[in-house]
Amino acid sequence: MHYPWWYVPHLTAPMLIAVVSVVHVLVAHYAVGGGFFLAMEVGHAYRTGDRDYLAYLKRHGRFFILLTVVFGAITGVGIWWTIGLASPLATEVLIRTFVFGWATEWVFFVIELTAAFIFYYYWGRLAEATHLAIGWIYALAAWISLVLITGITAFMLNPGRWLQTPDFWVGFFNPQFVWQVIARTGGALLLSSLYVYLHASLALKEARLRDLIASRSARPALLGSVLITIGGIGWYAFLPPSAKAVLASAGVLNVLVGLIFALTAIVFVLLYLGPYRNPGWLSPGFAGALCLFGIAAFSTGEFIREAVRKPYVIYNVVLGNQIFPQEIDGLRVRGYLEGGTWTKAYVKRFLKEQYPQLDPKIVDTERDRIDESHLLDLDPQGRIALGHVVFQYHCNDCHAARRGYSPAGPLLRGRPPELTEAMIRHLDEAHFFMPRWAGTEPEVKLLAAYLREIAPPRPEGLYPTKTVREAD
Amino acid sequence: MDPQSLIDATRFPAVPAPFWFIQFFKVLGFTLHAVPMNLWYAGVVLAMVLRAAGPEHGKRFAGRLMAQMPVVVAYGVNLGIVPLLFVQVAYFKVFYPATILTAWFWFAIVVLLIPAYYGVYAYAWGLRDGGRGMTPRKRVGGWLAAVLFVALGLLFANGFSLMTNVEAWPDLWWSTNVGGAALGTATNAGDPSLWPRWLMMFGLALTTTAAWVVVDAAWFGRSESPEYQRWAPEFAWKLYTAGLAWFAVAGTWYVLGTWSADVWNVMVRGPLIVLTVLTAVAPGLPWLLLYRARRSETGPSRPAASLIGLAQFGVLGINAVSRQIVQNVELLPHLDVAGQRTEVQWSPMAMFLLTFVAGLGLIAWMIGRVVAASGGTTVQD
Repeated sequence: MHYPWWYVPHLTAPMLIAVVSVVHVLVAHYAVGGGFFLAMEVGHAYRTGDRDYLAYLKRHGRFFILLTVVFGAITGVGIWWTIGLASPLATEVLIRTFVFGWATEWVFFVIELTAAFIFYYYWGRLAEATHLAIGWIYALAAWISLVLITGITAFMLNPGRWLQTPDFWVGFFNPQFVWQVIARTGGALLLSSLYVYLHASLALKEARLRDLIASRSARPALLGSVLITIGGIGWYAFLPPSAKAVLASAGVLNVLVGLIFALTAIVFVLLYLGPYRNPGWLSPGFAGALCLFGIAAFSTGEFIREAVRKPYVIYNVVLGNQIFPQEIDGLRVRGYLEGGTWTKAYVKRFLKEQYPQLDPKIVDTERDRIDESHLLDLDPQGRIALGHVVFQYHCNDCHAARRGYSPAGPLLRGRPPELTEAMIRHLDEAHFFMPRWAGTEPEVKLLAAYLREIAPPRPEGLYPTKTVREAD
Repeated sequence: MDPQSLIDATRFPAVPAPFWFIQFFKVLGFTLHAVPMNLWYAGVVLAMVLRAAGPEHGKRFAGRLMAQMPVVVAYGVNLGIVPLLFVQVAYFKVFYPATILTAWFWFAIVVLLIPAYYGVYAYAWGLRDGGRGMTPRKRVGGWLAAVLFVALGLLFANGFSLMTNVEAWPDLWWSTNVGGAALGTATNAGDPSLWPRWLMMFGLALTTTAAWVVVDAAWFGRSESPEYQRWAPEFAWKLYTAGLAWFAVAGTWYVLGTWSADVWNVMVRGPLIVLTVLTAVAPGLPWLLLYRARRSETGPSRPAASLIGLAQFGVLGINAVSRQIVQNVELLPHLDVAGQRTEVQWSPMAMFLLTFVAGLGLIAWMIGRVVAASGGTTVQD
């Protein structure tokens, strides 16, 4: 519409955001919780004079830097890259609204980076108190960057009063903010302990140190689990009603919610029985399983967090198909193809090249308008071609075409044309988590023509068969 | 198809900061980013060549640079956030379409940066203990990083040159669309300004690397031999001369071969000719300072090296200012970036500025602790 749509075959462009985000979040939370782990444990090692533990912590510091400063930082930039490509309008709105939030977060990134490098590269060369202070500077800067970005991501789920008062602070301190900060802080503590366990179980041969790490890191991990639970309850309580309804009605989300509860419970029980009560259990297999369960719970949580916003990218502000909800009424009159910068340009060129005889009839060059009433004068191939354009710009943000992520074709398999058209006209009434139809009646026909083209026939062998139904 | 019809004209949202503020931080951020970016863009490939076939001190410098490179890359990526943020604030109407048309190449920047960065780390580890840990795999990591960083420069130039080459959008889009959506496989290779811009930046990167040879020797390489200290400014001057020649050739190609009449009118026929001339001759100052530094028997002094570093920072800054003005002029027929409505977010802006100043203070304190712990000198790990 306002921007070109990026067509990612099979996966859909927004799913690319999900992939990059989940991968990043798994490292980003460790970047925060790992900072607290290093600062706390280095302090403990200094106080107790445990040189062996300090030596291990330095090794862990290298692992930490390699994972967070390289992979974590670049995938973080990668999210930005991807949202700009896959959700340009939403990104534009977020950046205009929160540019100074992001700029402030960047300042904390620089502090984090400087502190992390000094903490690691000057290990043993700084006075203990200074070294420790720099460790804490890193941890706090990393946590503040978590708080800042959470204000922005939580806004996407529930902007609260911002819709009436579009002010930076109103948007930042949205109803989801506090709960998501609590949950993410808990996530950072829990996930970092799981990474620590995995690293220690692989890197340490000395049982005393493994036991020490297991027992000392169990408390922050258990605290993290509690914070996740509290934050999760608040997150649910302050969800917009439609998001709660999505959770209740979408089959896959039902399963995922169940899965996340089961995985979190497993992690909690394993943490309690293992590192907390029986530190000696910390073998690579146990730590690996614990880490895998934790990562699976986290990834599931992130996916759910993204999915419940449907049909919005920014709740009640920008729809998944990159239009503003207040534009819909106008588009239903003017036409979706006419109303979009790129769709309109496409139609004009397409008609000029493919249907020169119809071009003067459909395109009013004087008023620079597409006469939607003549779109159905196109032959079936032309209708399908323009229906494809409507599909790309109206539907492809959530649906692949024939194969891939939630493909529209197989979803509409065997559906009669009149039902398909009715569904298009009443998209948001048929499924409340879909956007309202934003086109004209001729565009309903165009889209339906394309959907018929990509939908496979009704499967054979289902009773009652087509023959029986026709006989009835 | 009229290219103008592809720029959204249905709405004109307000920009949250004064235009000068956005320009200032975009240019400042880019200049700060350019320092480490120049070091990896030309420095890594230079270091790999020197390690493979350079003189003894050349190998030594290359080892030093590659050992520093993990930190350099981290800051380069980090400082790149600032211009990227502010370009999206004011140039969103052209930035998003250009990057979406070239989406896979733009996305590849993130994907390729990861192995490039790990390649740098692998090579840097191989250099530990006098290079005894160097294995063929780690060496491959270094070469991979060198090649990828040069390629990444081209990918960046591809996206950003297309941002101002609006005239090319219709055909690029049409040739790569699927049902009107962009497949993201377009390239701006047909833009005559792409290649000289990419090459010009490489020449500039060579000069920055040359300046770094001296800054590094004076500030971080005091433990190096007197021979190395004498070699450093001599080599730096030669490298700077080569970079300058490269920059001059590519820059001449860029200015004479690709500037439109509009750009020419603003940058050459108006009062801004002073800026254009300054941009062209600015590298002469660090070049002269390097020429002078060669005379020292004991290697570059710290004040002299600092002056060279500052002069080179000025070269990068003045280039960024000129580039910014050219970018705005190139866009003017399509988008008046300076004429956008503003609704300033005063209190968030104050929060940022206060945090920025406080953050700089905190960073200065941390570096001060490091310097104090190192007995007045910073030490290489």
